[in-house]
Amino acid sequence: MRLRVSGDQTGNEYDLALVMGEEVAASGLPHGDLMNDFVEAICARDGPRTAKSRQAIVETLGEGAMVDAAAVIAAFNAYPRMADATGIPLEDAKEAATAEMREELGLEAFNQG
Amino acid sequence: MAQAYDGAPVALRPDLRDALNRTHERLAQTGSWLSGRQRLDVATEARNAWDCPLCQASREALSPYTVTGDHASLGRLPDRWVDVIHRVVTDPGRLSARWYHDALDGGMAEDEIIEVISVAVQAVVIDCFTAGIGMDRPAPPPASPGEPDRKHPAEAKTGPGWAATIAPRDAGPDFADFYDNESHFYIRRSLTLVPDETRRLWDLLNHLYLEDPRVFELDGLERGISRAQIEFLAARASALLGCYY
Repeated sequence: MRLRVSGDQTGNEYDLALVMGEEVAASGLPHGDLMNDFVEAICARDGPRTAKSRQAIVETLGEGAMVDAAAVIAAFNAYPRMADATGIPLEDAKEAATAEMREELGLEAFNQG
Repeated sequence: MAQAYDGAPVALRPDLRDALNRTHERLAQTGSWLSGRQRLDVATEARNAWDCPLCQASREALSPYTVTGDHASLGRLPDRWVDVIHRVVTDPGRLSARWYHDALDGGMAEDEIIEVISVAVQAVVIDCFTAGIGMDRPAPPPASPGEPDRKHPAEAKTGPGWAATIAPRDAGPDFADFYDNESHFYIRRSLTLVPDETRRLWDLLNHLYLEDPRVFELDGLERGISRAQIEFLAARASALLGCYY
């Protein structure tokens, strides 16, 4: 949801399907391909791919960008585990606000047994 | 005295470096329901979970309950604790109320479950970050002596999921500040059954991500990537874990 809000505020348009692993390069997100490769490499625990991706981000965006990207990826290896381990649902307001997005991404399929 | 993340191979924001150092030390300190030794053992078992054949088979199965056997554990913790840790680490997208109640029925106190989850999560987070920046995992600090006070908050009630939590309206004067700035999100509430532990966890998370996710376009925050890039990484990491919260 925040990705869409961020785009609304900056006037940029982003294809939300990119978070589901579809073509990132054409999504409109600046350096989306670099970001995607980094998050996939870290989450897959793929050391060589992580090293290559890290170097690409440092060379293109700088060391600070790489550190902040790693930090966000680390944080979002926590929030989902906290939510899933305790069974917390989406808040009502958030559920309503993301209904269109979940439809767009096909996430409702996960709730239909 | 130099701390673990003072020697990072890249420059870290000072607030982030300090939060990582605090978390690293706290993994070995006496917790609310776990001793320092137990917390270190939980963190070590969380790291061991990735190599567990049962977990690998379970992840590939249609349902984790169709695979039986024993976890490949380090043997330092009870089997039920090991199951909680391994499932949280390796297959979080398919955790269920049944899994949680199995842990309770197996003799774990609910407060213990929550602290075990929190410590396992912190181990995963630290490892993700250190791997990301190309740093070797720091050696664990020695376990602190001392016993946890094992104090159960009477104001905790089951909900909004299957775990007991302290709702903002029920928070006493010593915990009400945790919900300051309208931060009543369910995710913030998720592990509040163990108030001091949830503060320890969020002390790290606030510096990795954003203390107040309501801010627009990083007003006043120093970050090397844009808000849109941050939210893409957040959403993509969650999707890769099979979580759509």
